[in-house]
Amino acid sequence: MSLITTDVKDNIFYIQLHGRIDSANAAPVEEEILEAVSSCTCPAVVIDADDLAYISSAGLRVVLRLRKNRPELKIINASSAVYEIFEMTGFTEMIPVEKGYRKLSIEGCEVIGQGANGKVYRLDKDTIVKVYYNADALPEIQRERELARRAFILGIPTAIPYDVAKVGDSYGSVFELLNAKSFSKLIASEPENLDKYVELYVDLLKKIHSTEVKPEDMPDQRAVVIDWVNFLKDYLEPGKWEKLHSMVEAVPVNHHMIHGDYHTKNVMMQNGEVLLIDMDTLSQGDPVFEFASIYNAFVGFYDFDHDAALDFQGFDYDTTISIWRKMLPLYFGTTDPDVLKAVENKSAILGYARLMRRLIRRNGFDTEEGRKLIAHYKNQIETRLDSVDKLQF
Amino acid sequence: MEIKKNREGAKLTVALSGRLDTLTAPQMEEVVKGDLDGVTELSIDLKDLTYVSSAGLRVLLMAQKTMNGKKGTMEICNVCEDIKEVFSITGFADIFTIK
Repeated sequence: MSLITTDVKDNIFYIQLHGRIDSANAAPVEEEILEAVSSCTCPAVVIDADDLAYISSAGLRVVLRLRKNRPELKIINASSAVYEIFEMTGFTEMIPVEKGYRKLSIEGCEVIGQGANGKVYRLDKDTIVKVYYNADALPEIQRERELARRAFILGIPTAIPYDVAKVGDSYGSVFELLNAKSFSKLIASEPENLDKYVELYVDLLKKIHSTEVKPEDMPDQRAVVIDWVNFLKDYLEPGKWEKLHSMVEAVPVNHHMIHGDYHTKNVMMQNGEVLLIDMDTLSQGDPVFEFASIYNAFVGFYDFDHDAALDFQGFDYDTTISIWRKMLPLYFGTTDPDVLKAVENKSAILGYARLMRRLIRRNGFDTEEGRKLIAHYKNQIETRLDSVDKLQF
Repeated sequence: MEIKKNREGAKLTVALSGRLDTLTAPQMEEVVKGDLDGVTELSIDLKDLTYVSSAGLRVLLMAQKTMNGKKGTMEICNVCEDIKEVFSITGFADIFTIK
């Protein structure tokens, strides 16, 4: 049986070490490594320690001797225990050693949730892990983690992901277990407290929108919305499209945070404290871009299907409409119907623009239902455009 | 969680023991809001602290920002390995002065 395995990827020669390497097997391991390396023409050799459990000083000497011939040698995927050996012996100062992701087993763990892109397991009394279905989700996980961390440091109350771990062939993000209920659940079970929850919900939204971010820290939502509008060029009346396009271009650049998916399932209450979750859509821009997605979550999605509100939000259509109507005066500090109507028109124009683009991209023209909806979105956008002359509030 | 406070002139030492989580963070928040008047040197001793949740990190961050705001200093000392790991993977090791 082979003590090592090897493969070549992107012109790098990988040597995988397995199990324990100590005085009992160091000599034959060395022999196999030297033989493998002698036939290799790659410019770089990397030791993959992913499956390495322990390495003794006899094993370390093998690595040192290999490095003599291969000065560019580096070690990757070291577990914490193996990394500690390299560190204690001073190896980390001579050879680059990269830690691997912590490995977690979810065997026997309780499943406590399931989303569009992953399953959530309870690891112990304090922590959960969200395991992504897509084995290539790592960059996405890292991105969301970094956004959440930035928001947290800027003072947005959220639960930051602690750690990224390898779970079988997939990756997982480790979070603390929140002992929390979503605003959707709270509103559904305590309709008498609706006003209180809407007030807290708006307070957090204002806090998000008053948080300044560095231009390079979060993506710019304005650019995304310009893309939506450009997509619609051939589908709206030319004059209307021109107006919409120039108004979106005229929205000033704004370096304040927006959440991007601010509905009542993404706001949680834990021991009287309001927390924001689902940070992968964090961006920066004018609040109108946020209100476009809020409009959809409370109104736009359900124009022809009021029952969908119950499926998505957990409460009925009348409640979603009522939340939308209650939150505007609170956020804007006015009950002036003209001001609020303008806010609704601006939010709806961009909200429907997003829905229209999405449906067209999903082959909406192929079905009668789809064509009906697209015509509705178009009509909403074009009618409302008549009564606004700028999109920012 | 237990909080022990020791004030010597402009220096305040706060020793935390047990768990700093969503249930106990408000106690620490009271210290940050109420006991930092005239303090220019804050030392937080975590020798007997076993766990920090994000609510706990939040209140430590609040303390750091308060001290920064008045040009004071804050250090966190006697951090156990588990909590050090939490500071390091959350990026807080770069924000706090950890001794």
